[in-house]
Amino acid sequence: MQANRLPLEGIRVADFCWFGAGPIYTESLANHGAQVIRVESQAHIDGLRVAHPMPEGKYTLNVSGYFNNYNASKLSFTLNMKHPKALDVALRLVAVSDIVTENYTPGTLEKWGLTYQKLQEVRPDIILVREPMQGSDGPHAEFSGFGAVISPLAGISHLSGSPDRVPVGLGTNYTDYVINPGHTIIATLAALRYRNRTGKGQLVEVAQVESSTCAVGTAILDQTVNDRSQNRQGNRLPHAAPHGAYRCQGDDRWCVIAVFSDDQWRAFCKAIGDPQWCREERFATLQSRKENEDELDRLVEGWTSPRTAEKVMETLQTAGVAAGVVQNARDVLENDSHLKERGYYVYLDHPEAGRTAYDGPGFRLGKTPGRLRPAPMLGEHTERVCKEVLQMDDEEMVQLVIDGVLF
Amino acid sequence: MPALPLALDDIRVLDLAGEPGMYCGKLLAELGADVVKIEPPGGDPARHIEPFFHDEVDPDKSLYFFGLNSSKRSITLDIATADGQALFKRLLPTADVVVETFPPGYLESIGLGYDTLSQIKPDIIHCSITGFGQWGPHSHYQAPDIVAIAMSGMMYLAGFPGEAPDRPYGNQTNYCASIQATTGILMALLHRDATGEGQQVEVSMQEALLLNQETAVPYWDIRKDLRGRVGNERRLPGIGVYECQDGYAMLMVGVPGFGSPWPELMRWMADEGKAEDLLEERWKNLFAQLDMRLIAEIYFGTDAELVETWVPRLSHIDEVLVRFVKDYTKEHLYEEGQRRGLLVAPVNTPQDVVANPQLNHRRWFTPAEHHELATTITYAGPPYRFGETPWRIHRPPRIGEHNQEIYCGELGLSQEQLAALTDAGII
Repeated sequence: MQANRLPLEGIRVADFCWFGAGPIYTESLANHGAQVIRVESQAHIDGLRVAHPMPEGKYTLNVSGYFNNYNASKLSFTLNMKHPKALDVALRLVAVSDIVTENYTPGTLEKWGLTYQKLQEVRPDIILVREPMQGSDGPHAEFSGFGAVISPLAGISHLSGSPDRVPVGLGTNYTDYVINPGHTIIATLAALRYRNRTGKGQLVEVAQVESSTCAVGTAILDQTVNDRSQNRQGNRLPHAAPHGAYRCQGDDRWCVIAVFSDDQWRAFCKAIGDPQWCREERFATLQSRKENEDELDRLVEGWTSPRTAEKVMETLQTAGVAAGVVQNARDVLENDSHLKERGYYVYLDHPEAGRTAYDGPGFRLGKTPGRLRPAPMLGEHTERVCKEVLQMDDEEMVQLVIDGVLF
Repeated sequence: MPALPLALDDIRVLDLAGEPGMYCGKLLAELGADVVKIEPPGGDPARHIEPFFHDEVDPDKSLYFFGLNSSKRSITLDIATADGQALFKRLLPTADVVVETFPPGYLESIGLGYDTLSQIKPDIIHCSITGFGQWGPHSHYQAPDIVAIAMSGMMYLAGFPGEAPDRPYGNQTNYCASIQATTGILMALLHRDATGEGQQVEVSMQEALLLNQETAVPYWDIRKDLRGRVGNERRLPGIGVYECQDGYAMLMVGVPGFGSPWPELMRWMADEGKAEDLLEERWKNLFAQLDMRLIAEIYFGTDAELVETWVPRLSHIDEVLVRFVKDYTKEHLYEEGQRRGLLVAPVNTPQDVVANPQLNHRRWFTPAEHHELATTITYAGPPYRFGETPWRIHRPPRIGEHNQEIYCGELGLSQEQLAALTDAGII
């Protein structure tokens, strides 16, 4: 058996994705052994290559932390699809690929001549994975959008946050990072396994609005079954109290605490030194704690606010009570001893961006763990792909450069 | 005609997972795997979580449970007992994958750790999902959803500055951790198919969520800028959540370079007679000046005069826009805005989501027959659509619904043995 074989070794991906959800998905394939060839162009720059953050005073196409963090382990191949000679090169790449991916507005690939039928002609068992916003058909298929509008559309914004506040969502393009890329990887791997078993490729479509709406499955059922349209409830849960984020010592420091059962409540009281109020009848059962939750939250915060969030967490977790620091980016990167010991963040040296942190895989395979290489610079691997993957001779390659095709 | 093959119809999963791993089994089942949910006698604790079918509190009617356990089969088994462990070991050779969410070390302590399992079934894929993974200083920490969300950094970014951060709706950890687990399992399966080798897949809920911080970590790493909560800060008119006639709409109109920017919005407002003074020549010139560079100078620059001139102008534009938006429904703003090429989205309630014409046109919501409730229930539909190997959904099982089928039909237990094990509280 081959040592250090990765699970997707031997799989080649012609990756036409750009921006967030698409490239995040293909990075996971690349980290686990697939050869992922990002097809990019100077004429059609991926918006993330010009997005912040970039190192102070250094604004180039190769240093965006946003881009680099989602494109580790890939190759970058520049091909200007608007050039008439690009289609032939793209099809030659498809012919030697297992998977083609894209997340453009429906019709873009077709405009370039890359119809699914055409792909099948050059590679009969090709797997084409499309990640449109709304799906390829239907009244809103052409609607524009990106991650920021999915949370509102899918109901996530309406359902999250405080009921007396404007539904602003989660402060990020939430579904771009795990929900959509994750569902897309699953679909791709399923299609790959199906191909391995049957020899058949297929067209896979992950409409981002659909895949995101899966994440509010309970609210959907409450609506379809009980005709109840749920509203946001802040950090509270019907079957827990206290349950929320409590202010701690310092600027914008918080610790969450979650107490579900009466046993957990007793453990909580003991851990905080059994103050008088803990013994009051009005907090004795879950039901009574729910009835007096405003007062309960005030008293809990009275205990947390003179303490550091870390101390609150340690005190409670030592007693078996669920608690966690509301960590910020600095905490997760530099202060979280657990993440450090596990090495979740990986520091990689990049020729232009220097040494920066990358997210490691969100799951760990015991025998075949993923591994990361720094994100590619724009066009860094164009020559290598031409020679090693497309078997081009120097003359042809140079001509394509001169013609502005490999651009 | 032979049934269409499915991507995973040769795979059996023994699903011991609690809440964070339930969606994993559902995903595998709906790709065709035979997912056998193993519940403690009396049923999974999540069967007691609301909301319930017609608000009838009953462990076979939890909609929360339904949403995470469709398409599985169910057997009951107390794996804390010696008899239970023996039965589990008899089932194991029929399985390809085991998914579980026990505290680290628990399965080892009852003799069902990976070392034992892989002796019985050498190519088994064993997936563990816990709050903080199998090892490390926090590996024994309690981690309900809110703790994992807080420790992952994503909560810090959600909500309003100065106020308590928001936990997202709906135990998002269940989805993110299960998605990561399913990905790991499928990669392990592909590796097993190629080499015959099984392995462990380890998921930490905290790690499964970290990617959701967007650019927060790169911002800190590269710029030492700490991203925080921004609430509904509308730095630019036309970017943010606006109140409308029947709720809220999200507008992403004001970003130069994204979608059709201001001129189209102005035409729309003018067509409706609601552009107020913004049609005057002086505003046109000002709009023409508004580009990313100027915006950056207004917000991050040091030119006090520039700020003093521009902030009131931007406020005025926003006020006109607020008055315009509030007269329309979110649906109208969405349809008309998008027709005009503007990035507008409704802040949908669950009722709106279920009525969404696009989702309904694509027949996304999917009915499942619930003969035990004498009804049909409409579920959230497929996260992906395949040309081949169709996605499918089937109602979730009742507690121990498949005991007979599996214990007697497959393992060859007699009716008497099944009854005795049931009486003893093992099954």
